[in-house]
Amino acid sequence: MKPRFLTGLLSLLMPAMVMAGEYDLTVDRVEIDTGDFVKEGIGYNGASPGPVMRFKEGENVKINVTNNLDEMTSIHWHGLILPFDQDGVPGISFPGIKPGETFTYEFPIQQAGTYWFHSHSGFQEPDGAYGAIVIEPEKREPFRYDREYVVQLTDKHPHSGDRIMRNLKMIPDYYNREQQTVGEFFSDASKNGLMNTIRDRMAWGDMRMMKADVEDLQGFTGLINGKGPEQNWTGLFEPGERIRLRFINSSAMTYFDIRITGLDMTVVQADGNNVQPVNVDEFRIGVAETYDVIVHPKDEQAYTIFAESMGRSGYARATLAPEEGMEAAVPQLRDPARLTMADMSGMPGMDHGNMAGMDHGDMDMNSSEGMSGMDHSNMEGMDHGSMAMGKGGQNDPFYAKGSGLVPTAANGGKFLSYADLKAQDPLYEDREPTREIELRLTGNMERYTWSINGVKYEDADPIRLKYGERVRFKFVNETMMTHPMHLHGMWSILDVGADQWNPIKHTVSVQPGTTVYMETEVDEPGQWAFHCHLSYHAAAGMFRKVIVEGGPESTQAKTDVIAKDGGEV
Amino acid sequence: MYDNYYEPEEISVKPGETVRFVVENKGNLVHEFNVGTPDMHEAHREEMMMMVEHGVIQGGKLNHDMMNMDMGNGHSMKHDDPNSVLLEPGQSKEVVWKFSDKGNIEFACNVPGHYQAGMYGEVNFE
Amino acid sequence: MSCIRSIVAVSFLASIGVSTAVTAQEMISDTTARKQPLTTWGVQFEEFEYRYSDDDEELGVWNADAFYGTDDFKVRLLTTGEYEIEEQAYETLENQLVGQIPISKFFDAKAGVRFDTPEGPDRTYAVLGVAGLAPQWFEIDANLYVSKDGDTSAELDAEYELLFTNYWILAATLDASVAFSEDEEIGVGKGLVSTETGLRLSYDLIDRAFSPYVGVVHERKYGDSADLAEADGGGTEDWFAVIGARIAF
Repeated sequence: MKPRFLTGLLSLLMPAMVMAGEYDLTVDRVEIDTGDFVKEGIGYNGASPGPVMRFKEGENVKINVTNNLDEMTSIHWHGLILPFDQDGVPGISFPGIKPGETFTYEFPIQQAGTYWFHSHSGFQEPDGAYGAIVIEPEKREPFRYDREYVVQLTDKHPHSGDRIMRNLKMIPDYYNREQQTVGEFFSDASKNGLMNTIRDRMAWGDMRMMKADVEDLQGFTGLINGKGPEQNWTGLFEPGERIRLRFINSSAMTYFDIRITGLDMTVVQADGNNVQPVNVDEFRIGVAETYDVIVHPKDEQAYTIFAESMGRSGYARATLAPEEGMEAAVPQLRDPARLTMADMSGMPGMDHGNMAGMDHGDMDMNSSEGMSGMDHSNMEGMDHGSMAMGKGGQNDPFYAKGSGLVPTAANGGKFLSYADLKAQDPLYEDREPTREIELRLTGNMERYTWSINGVKYEDADPIRLKYGERVRFKFVNETMMTHPMHLHGMWSILDVGADQWNPIKHTVSVQPGTTVYMETEVDEPGQWAFHCHLSYHAAAGMFRKVIVEGGPESTQAKTDVIAKDGGEV
Repeated sequence: MYDNYYEPEEISVKPGETVRFVVENKGNLVHEFNVGTPDMHEAHREEMMMMVEHGVIQGGKLNHDMMNMDMGNGHSMKHDDPNSVLLEPGQSKEVVWKFSDKGNIEFACNVPGHYQAGMYGEVNFE
Repeated sequence: MSCIRSIVAVSFLASIGVSTAVTAQEMISDTTARKQPLTTWGVQFEEFEYRYSDDDEELGVWNADAFYGTDDFKVRLLTTGEYEIEEQAYETLENQLVGQIPISKFFDAKAGVRFDTPEGPDRTYAVLGVAGLAPQWFEIDANLYVSKDGDTSAELDAEYELLFTNYWILAATLDASVAFSEDEEIGVGKGLVSTETGLRLSYDLIDRAFSPYVGVVHERKYGDSADLAEADGGGTEDWFAVIGARIAF
């Protein structure tokens, strides 16, 4: 399916009646009060997070951005399809916005859904420079709701972004307070046996890697819409209403597992694109991802929105309630996450001969749960990876088999997997990719350097793509950390094995020890950033420039082609 | 039926009236048109969940062989009750239903996720 | 209705399409800081303490290092000193300036100079060393020194940390030095010269920036070096109680 906004020849003859909206944003130094601490940071229109920008699909927007800082700044519109020089990445899209300067972004809105925007300069984003984008669709959405809220998460830290980067380079486990202690040695020994525990510790010690290496940055206060757990952002509702919650993960480094005790959620959008609705009890939102869910609270009570960090070191919390001031119980954090040898399997040269029998304590032996009573001989043709098993993620194909990071729902219910995401309205026709590009996600934790194919951005050549091709990207995660890979300007069609129903995303999480494929229709000329969205990884080298060579011959010719193909209006 | 909503989204009937619904699936996904009370729909949703788990409903297609498969306890997953139809994209079928008494009746699609996304309609009794 | 919006979008896009094609020719190159090697710096005091010996000796001791540079090349200043409080003199005062480069995943190589300026004769050495993280989490720093007069010696420093909790950390250190030729003037005999072992229990009070500790340190001289020390009227073995803080910023 060609981009739906290009129609037949006829339309070019009609006079242009352009819908346009003009918006103003200022970039300012602001004070951020998390409830735990107060820190100076950066915000938009005097606050962090910045305002919710509300656009309409089809309008042409003009955004005047005034830089009131004493350093360069920029704004990147995350997930928006637009001309490359409006993408807001200094050095790739444009030179940046000088102090005191006002830069005007101008581009058409070619999509609908929930997105966000943030600075792409230095560590301004972790320091507070982020906001939300809500785009109203032209057509009716494939779901109904009575009210909506933006639920934007971040991991605000008492240290500034520059300081955090410096600390991580000097002492890579500077912020990790979930490391294995003597106490854990003894409790593991009593659970798994002394010899097994000693062998386990020695196996990891040999690699000089820590099982506890799940979250680089701990000690943050989780914020929802700028409010910490004590400040408790509250969304009001009337019992019986359907509420659309637009979850945006605007954090620097943190994956959150989100649940609302007492309510199940129906996921209807991922990364701004409609997905076939999936009912879940809990979902994991990666850095830079968005998920829109519908909840239907029927009782006159408060509900806690609980966002627990993936490594269980911190959390963010908000409330849905019929009245201000109402609160529900806030759950306790679960035990710290621990990697297993399975998560290490991506690393080249791992000798697995000695690894058997290592991690009995971590391996959950329940993988056969739920399968009793089914006659498997008739089950051919079933895609087990995408079967909604009604149970948590034991069999999540997007995690290494036996991974320590496989999420399970706190209430024992369904945890969303990438395998559950299917596009509701595919944007592109399914076709064979024209070529495959392998990108090994690499890094050295001790030196805190992160790279792609072993090469940091500073030493790397750009990735060159040709306009019109369909590239299949193969991400091979050779590290033991999860990386949310974000390609600017063009959609990432994540391969979940559903052919034309593969979901359309802008940020793809690659778990340790796994290989993930996504395809991109190269249909936007120019040059684009492509990077891991963990702020300190991107800065440490896990970044690339993508150059799209060529462009449409002329829009006239392209339109001819559409008309011939009987393209949709 | 569209993805994922009905047109119209509410209807008015007289108690005792018999209505013939001509249901057409104009969406890209499999949808259901089912007349019943919210409790019935909730129970039926569990059954539909099982159908998805067993691969009977696969996005925009129905696996008819799977549907007729005997689950081993005398049940099959055939969708042939008089108050509902399960349609692939482009299919059309009729449901004839007599609304005997006033009650809390809705028409709904119980394909997992669809009801929660808003695919239901109200039956108002005059 | 949607037809009109599409029309509008097309017309607008037609104009954008043209301008995009033009700007595609003028794509900028990345001259921002992101394209430059990440330059970083840091200062750490592994030891900053007061030592009290069983001989009533009181020392102020530090062992610090500051670095500046990129992943591929760092300049480091390593400084260590032992200040005899009563005598108001430096028993030890060593300052090293080295350049350091990565040679493997976990190890760096370094080369530079070391200036010893304690109470007594001064010495200058060329330094060649290897530093990094050995398997099972031992921090290793091994150095070879060559003095202006051709006296060669070597030092091996090893450290291991045990986490009682994520804030209470027990650090064990071993510094051993070996001389390949005698340097009588400064009390160095051939062979194993001395060892210093330490056990320090610290608490991370302010992040990893300030971690006060208490501990015990054992110093001992061996062989010819021990003889030289005794001949001078000094001791060959000392036990110290120490109190101090690790500092990093």
